[in-house]
Amino acid sequence: MSKLSTSGLTKAFSGLVAVNAVSFAMEEGEILGIIGPNGAGKTTFIHLVSGILMPTSGSVTFKGQDITYAPAHKRSRLGIARTYQLIHPLENLKVIENVMIGAVFSRNRSLKEARRESMEICAELELDRLDRDTTQLSILEIKKMEIARALANEPEVLFLDEVMAGLNSDETKQMIAMIQRIARERRLAVGVVEHVMGVIRELTQRVIVLEAGELIAEGPYETVSKNPRVIEAYLGGAA
Amino acid sequence: MKLKGSYLAAAAATAVVVAFPAFLGAYPLAVARSIMTYMALAISWDMLLRSGQISFGIAGLFGLGSYASALAVLRGGMDPFTSILFASAFAAVMSMLLGLAILRLRAMYFSITTLALMEIFKIVIHNLHDFSGGPEGVVLPEPIFGGSAPALFWLCMAGLFMTIGVSWYFEKSKMHLALTAIRNDETSARSSGVDIFKYLLIAFVITSTLQGMMGAIQVQSYGFTTPDTAFDANFTLLPLAMALLGGIHSTIGPMAGAVLLGVASEWLKLKIPYGHLIVYGFIIILVILFMPQGLVGLARKTIRNGRTGVRHE
Ligand SMILES: Nc1ncnc2c1ncn2[C@@H]1O[C@H](COP(=O)(O)OP(=O)(O)OP(=O)(O)O)[C@@H](O)[C@H]1O
Ligand SMILES: [Mg+2]
Repeated sequence: MSKLSTSGLTKAFSGLVAVNAVSFAMEEGEILGIIGPNGAGKTTFIHLVSGILMPTSGSVTFKGQDITYAPAHKRSRLGIARTYQLIHPLENLKVIENVMIGAVFSRNRSLKEARRESMEICAELELDRLDRDTTQLSILEIKKMEIARALANEPEVLFLDEVMAGLNSDETKQMIAMIQRIARERRLAVGVVEHVMGVIRELTQRVIVLEAGELIAEGPYETVSKNPRVIEAYLGGAA
Repeated sequence: MKLKGSYLAAAAATAVVVAFPAFLGAYPLAVARSIMTYMALAISWDMLLRSGQISFGIAGLFGLGSYASALAVLRGGMDPFTSILFASAFAAVMSMLLGLAILRLRAMYFSITTLALMEIFKIVIHNLHDFSGGPEGVVLPEPIFGGSAPALFWLCMAGLFMTIGVSWYFEKSKMHLALTAIRNDETSARSSGVDIFKYLLIAFVITSTLQGMMGAIQVQSYGFTTPDTAFDANFTLLPLAMALLGGIHSTIGPMAGAVLLGVASEWLKLKIPYGHLIVYGFIIILVILFMPQGLVGLARKTIRNGRTGVRHE
């Protein structure tokens, strides 16, 4: 049984169909690339799966359970975590508290347990000085903090929406290694949205390609990147 | 070390306040009661504000508590002390029902709705003439504890201390994480498992209960009330000004603001009986413009800069 799957998932914004009848499945331990030109519907797709937006039609299933209309906080408790394309730090909380909320509210930990677990996660991600304000963090540190917060949910499925954006090449390398390690050690299914194809090639075992809301191709990056429809979509997007 | 010091200071301050009736006369004690009442309202307003929700409904719940308590004594034959507990429970139930209806609203839509509720309560009391006494109000057989000034002071103080205790709990427990996360970014909060509606409802019901309780204590202490006194807009405006002046999103800020504005307003009332409201208005505007973190924020900044020798911002 798949960890997470969708069937005919569709989201229309007053006329514009941002996600159009997308069916896909994700297996335990796999790193899946989600690619497509700007405005293809990648972020909207993650919103639908994580409960930030409700679909117009179609369904979402997590470990055999229908969660199509489950609220976001329930999904995070079930085991679906994510980060955001635009960073979402909680600026009136310390770094450690930013991470702790996942453990406190998704896993019902006491403050003390949550703090200990969160410190471990941060150590794993090489994020230190956790009593800082979020305004003192670099962009890399904020991205790490948001991944740490997602991991504090103890998810089984994790979506990362353009976590590499804004990072230099060293930082990107570091991030790729980190994601691989996290996925391996936790047997996580990870969905990665990324525009840099080098990253996708290195990181993922399989990709799905969205264009104008539709899933137009699926398979290993090497195969998909030779698919004429995919080449057309990217050239069309660039033109 | 530092923590121990602040606990010691708090214990000393508490002891002094408890001992007030030993060396203060009836008038200063009445002033102290009024300040303590406003302080409790200011703290309770701030507690909900920590979630980002700005309520203008303090006077509404205060008045609701006043009338629930007064009418429980007059029509239900309840004894005064029990009526305070009853009024608190009544405010809890009412705010729960209201909260279910209005806590989906945000920003000014929530604020305006809470303001309207205050008016609605007042109109209902006005019109239920036979039951509520209408615009002329209600008079109780006698104030609670026979109107003994020290007893009334301690009763009000108990209400305040309870409010401070709950607010302190909000600061130290997971309520702090939940409310701050909701205020900063609801999307993040949801993704981390925060049931936003549940925490807003808890905060709204608890703060409304405290406000209703303070209203009940007030009416039992004075022995009478009218719709215009129980639902006086001052019970909304003054706590707001106090919290803003002292510093929001903390327990200590509204407390500091309440002492300052409370003392100042007593003095102003004597000097310019009708003009003091204008002064509050000015204070609110000036604080928002020039001191958004309030006095406590200013003090924190000064201490931090003094310690590190670094200028912030
Ligand atoms: N709340 C909304 N209301 C209306 N239209 C929206 C909304 N959110 C997204 N859209 C539209 O839906 C389409 C898909 O947007 P989405 O953000 O999912 O694309 P994306 O693939 O993540 O793009 P990018 O690579 O630029 O992040 C776009 O045309 C966008 O303008
Ligand atoms: Mg996107």
